[in-house]
Order: sequence, then structure tokens, then C-alpha cells
Amino acid sequence: MLAARTSSRTVQRIARNFATVVDSAGIKVAAVDNNQPTASVTFLVKAGSRFEPKPGVAHGLKNFAFKSSAKRTALGTVRESEIYGGVLSASLSREHLALTAEFLRGDEQYFVDVLTSFITSARFTPHEYNEYVSPVVESEIEESKLNPGFQAIEAAHAVAFHNGLGSSLLAAPHNSITHEDIRSFAQSTFTRDNVAVLGTGIDQATLTSLVEQSLNKMSTTSQLSSSTSSYFGGETRLQAHGGIQTVFVGFGSAGVPTPEIVALSAYLSPTPSVKWSQGSSPIAAALPEGTAVEVIYMPYTDASLFGFLVQGPTGSAVKEAGKVAVQALKTASNGLKGDDLKKALAKAKFAAASAVDSREGLVSVLGSKVLFGRESSLDSTLTSLDKVSESAFAKAASTLVKVKPVFVAVGDVATLPYVDELGL
Amino acid sequence: MPLGLSLAPKVLASKSLTSWVTPIAHWYANLAGYRKYGLKYDDLIIEEYEDVQRAIGRLTPRERYDRAFRMKRASHASVLHSVLPKEQWTEPEKDVRFLTPHVQEVEKEDKERAMWDTVFVSRK
Repeated sequence: MLAARTSSRTVQRIARNFATVVDSAGIKVAAVDNNQPTASVTFLVKAGSRFEPKPGVAHGLKNFAFKSSAKRTALGTVRESEIYGGVLSASLSREHLALTAEFLRGDEQYFVDVLTSFITSARFTPHEYNEYVSPVVESEIEESKLNPGFQAIEAAHAVAFHNGLGSSLLAAPHNSITHEDIRSFAQSTFTRDNVAVLGTGIDQATLTSLVEQSLNKMSTTSQLSSSTSSYFGGETRLQAHGGIQTVFVGFGSAGVPTPEIVALSAYLSPTPSVKWSQGSSPIAAALPEGTAVEVIYMPYTDASLFGFLVQGPTGSAVKEAGKVAVQALKTASNGLKGDDLKKALAKAKFAAASAVDSREGLVSVLGSKVLFGRESSLDSTLTSLDKVSESAFAKAASTLVKVKPVFVAVGDVATLPYVDELGL
Repeated sequence: MPLGLSLAPKVLASKSLTSWVTPIAHWYANLAGYRKYGLKYDDLIIEEYEDVQRAIGRLTPRERYDRAFRMKRASHASVLHSVLPKEQWTEPEKDVRFLTPHVQEVEKEDKERAMWDTVFVSRK
């Protein structure tokens, strides 16, 4: 009698509204509105450390963000943003400087104005450099000295790519940067074709019109140049004390990053999917007690660096853990069998998809693609992962391992292993 | 108020008033005597104020060095109870306001801070 009840409810499918890139007179604007309660606008500028004319200038420029401009002073920016209840932040990567404002819906006019007035009319005064910027630059340098993992990755980039991508994110401890250097770098980089605007929680048309209004006087051509990256490889050892013993073993490659390496890092990553479990990564099971291996994959527009960050309490423990990681990589580079590859691809796809859920992830995933005018959607990332075949994977992984590795040891260099001791 | 009140902007705004007052101003500045000790007018700004200290910090290293040098030379001349030899006197065209703009900027910042500290916000 009881007929199978069909649900009368129609499950409303909320179509995800993905960022479409609109090129409005030279400025690329992409906006996503998923009806979230807060909105954010990020100005992504090609002003990362690889483009800097003098070491550390990009770091200085990042810390000059939101200081006085023709429209308001540094204090005025802080106080007014507090009144609106927004958060302003700046972050620097090797390729991009991201200036971000997060705010409640409806306040976009003010916050876009704060961002554009910095882009177009920052004053770069000498006293602001001395009083506000340079103390923060110095404290960030000091802070980085306490982080051996960061130091290892910085050194690895320098060894792997020499100039360009190899230049450090941070300024040197005793630098000769002046406000004039920063001003001229900003002038050469804040141009129409170098800036992309990414909005979340904001309507594309609104954002485009706001950006157009305030950036219409910006010059078009940039005088920036960065040579295309090439990969070198090599070894360096840095004495450090007090921190955890750290080794970075990496393999870089020039050229556009490939999805096969994403799958490889997903396969090897010992981070378990369930907390406090061991996970099925080939590295996780064999790691000595107290050591940790982190799989690092850093894709850039024209190069990528893949590697392991091995950390442990003593040099010998790090050596054991490093051997385990290198052995696992060598085994994987012979190719993955059916299920292993499927698992790796599923993990990689989930990581790519869940990264887009957060604002930072969205900006970092879409950012470089938007700036370089490529297809900018999650779908394209996922389909490229779907297309990874067993043979393509084996080929990519074996070519990756064949190059001269990057090896960085940070800590007690007397006990930390050398590259040949890890089985490379 | 380290700078004190000044009628100069009012005077400079009017052309005829400027032409009247300028000779008197030059005469007064020479009479004041600081130029005979190699000082500039801005060296006379009382520096025991936080604002002025911050302004001095904003001078270029060269300006800071020169300021200290002029003061040292002037105090030495004062110890000797005599003015400097005439070739070391400050020439009127070199007697520029190098510190006043910085002091004014610091004062403006203080004013702005006070404004934000006491601002009354109403949403439109």
C-alpha cells in the first residue's frame, strides 16, 4: 500500500558562481559572489621578490602598504578602517604582492578606495620608512631566523633558481634600501597590465566600475623584467643553533608546472586524512619517532620546486627520515599502479577544490592564472588532474628525479647528513 | 606650540603688504644677530618639545650633521665672546626653513590623531 514516497522537495542546488575574468581596459577583474556575509577585495600586483631591482625592495614595498597616500594618512587609514570594521593586510610571495581588504558587504566603496589610493598615490615618505616600515622589516627578518623550515626553503630557492625566483622574500639584515628605491619600484610595477583585482562576496559589475573609476589614470606599460627561470640545483649548509634540525631535499624544473607532480606530492604527503592516524603514505609508516616530513610543492608561472622538508630533534634522526623519504620518492618515480594513482589523484583534487573554499586559497589559486590571462576556474584544474595517466605520471616523476637535487641543511651542520648519504 | 604664532602667511598673501614688510623683516633678521654666529633661523626653534624632536629625526643625515655643526660653532663663538669672522656669517639666501615644514607636519599628525581619538561617528 505504501507507495514509495517520492520527495516533493526539490533540493535547490546552489550553483557555485565562479570567477570570470573581465578585462576592463587593461585591468583584469575577477569576482565571485557566493552570498557569504563578508566581502573581500584583493589587488594582486606582479611585484614579488623575483621582479625586484635590488634585494629586499619588494619586502619594503609590502610593509609600505596602507601608509600615507594623497587621500589619507597612515593613521587615517587605520582609524577609518576600524570604524568600518574591516581588515587590511598585505602579503608577499615570490611572484605577487597581494593587498587585501576584508569588510562587511556594502562597504566596498571605501575599501576599494583605500586600496586604489595606495596603488595610485602612495607618498613613500622617508620618515614613514624610518618610523614604521623599517622596524617591521627588521622584526620580520629577526622572526625568520627562528624558523629553520623557512630558512631552508629560502636557501633552496636561491640554490635552485639563482636569480629571479631565487631572490629572497625578505630583505637582508643590513640592507641599504631607501624609500626612493621602494618608490621607483612601485612606480614601475603599479601599472594596468601588472595589476589584477580579485573580489569575493562582491558583484563583478560593482567591482569593475569601482576599480575603473579610480584606476583610470594609471599608466599602461610596465618597465619590469624578470628573466625566465632556469633550474640549477646544488647543495648548501647553514649553521644554526637552538632550532629544530632541518633538511630540505628538492627537485626543481623549469617550465609550466604539470599536474603529474601535484599527484606525486599528494601521493607522498604523510599528512593523514584522519587526525592521529598514520595514513597510507609510503613515508608515514617508516618515519623514525619524533621526525616529520613535509612534502613541499611550489608551482610558479615558469618553474616549480618539489621537495621534502625533513625535520627532527637530532642530525641522525633527520638522516634516517630523509632516507625514508628519498626511498619512497624513488619507488614512486617508477610509476604508480592503478589504485595508488587513483588515490593520489583524488587527494590532489580534494586539496585543489578545498583550497578554493577559503579566501586565501582562492586568491592564490586564481591569482597567477588571472594575471597571466589563462583559464581561471577550478574545473580546468580538476580536469587537468583527471587526465593524468599512469604512463604520463611515470614519465614526469622519473624526469623529475633525474635532475641534480637541491639540498639544504639548516642546524647543526656537523651531524646533519650530506646529499649522498640520503641515497641520491 | 614650539613654532608660535606667525603672521607671515597673511603678509605673504598680499602683494603690497609683502613689499612693505620685506625690508623690515630683513633688517630685523640681521639685527637679531643669529646670522653672525653662523646659525639659521630654524636653529633657534626650541627643541625641548616632543614634536620638535620627532621633526629633527626626519631631517636627512646631512641636514642633521650641519645643524649640529652650526650649533657647536656658535657655542664656541659664544664662549669666545665674539661673533664669527664675516665670511662665516649665514648669508640671507641660505637662511632657509629646513625644520619648520617637518615640525608643521608633526603638528598636523598630532592634530589628526586628536581628531580620530575624539571623533563622533554616525552611519549615513
